[in-house]
Amino acid sequence: MQLSQASAEKIMKDMCMEDMPLISMQPTPHQMPADWFTRYKKARHSFMQSLGESIEELAFMNLSQEEFMDLLMGRALPANTSIRMRVPICWGGEISPDNMFMCSTFPHSQNIDRFIIGQAGNETIWLPAPAKKIYIPAHTAGGGEGGNATEDRLAQMAAQFAASRGME
Amino acid sequence: MTREEFLIEFRKRGALLAPAPSRQNIATTGAILQGMQAAMLPTALSEFYAACGGIVHGAGYIFGPSEISRGTKHPVPTIIDINREMSHIPALHGKTIFGRNDLFFFAFDAFGVSYMLDNLTLRPLRKYNDIYHAMTDCLAAGKL
Repeated sequence: MQLSQASAEKIMKDMCMEDMPLISMQPTPHQMPADWFTRYKKARHSFMQSLGESIEELAFMNLSQEEFMDLLMGRALPANTSIRMRVPICWGGEISPDNMFMCSTFPHSQNIDRFIIGQAGNETIWLPAPAKKIYIPAHTAGGGEGGNATEDRLAQMAAQFAASRGME
Repeated sequence: MTREEFLIEFRKRGALLAPAPSRQNIATTGAILQGMQAAMLPTALSEFYAACGGIVHGAGYIFGPSEISRGTKHPVPTIIDINREMSHIPALHGKTIFGRNDLFFFAFDAFGVSYMLDNLTLRPLRKYNDIYHAMTDCLAAGKL
């Protein structure tokens, strides 16, 4: 059944992602380029390395120092995180870091899969389009009261990251 | 590929292997799946569960009869939870999802044949007669 914007938003709300912006598109199957997998892997690594500018969202992910470094160096994703295409490649989405976002695998990425699969056969499909590179639901991103632990932790990590890249 | 070869390989690659559930838990899982239009557990997967309750390899997951807890991270759901959530989807009737990564779901049918499915359209992309081959593809794509 074709979803209206309101009904699509209601489903997202029921999945505790009421703050997730949605965009609509008319999906048309596209031929996957022969080298899509190689380009996809490369784009994933570039995307991970670009997350240095998402320091505020990274702070809410409660990463260990090792996970943080592995992520920003493009080596490995932290546990329970997924990189998703904003517009799927099979519907013409570009294989580019600009067409990617990161979120938790469980429950968010799994629920987004269900949300999109549930629209199978519809002329218009609603797709999640988070404003930032990392989606963290508003209800989990609220800060605690006082304390500078997060700020200290960020400063420490940023210094280490800069050192590992030979930056000053 | 045998179960032991498969487990040795992924242990070597640093995957998280969940402890084996009880025989009773495996039998109950099979019975619940049968009751929800999914495919019953093939013998090979029941035997796999007798040694391992699921695997996490980066963003690649093999679901097991019990949740896989990971400290403060959200636990990996059970094979029952995953299939219950998706039981209303017609393309999955007669199939049971047993794994996922960022691109694909992996499912088996009532004949024990495994499939790689597109994670958004559920279109079958590859067919496997050996479930360990399917699990290897599922987990390998978890670390790209």
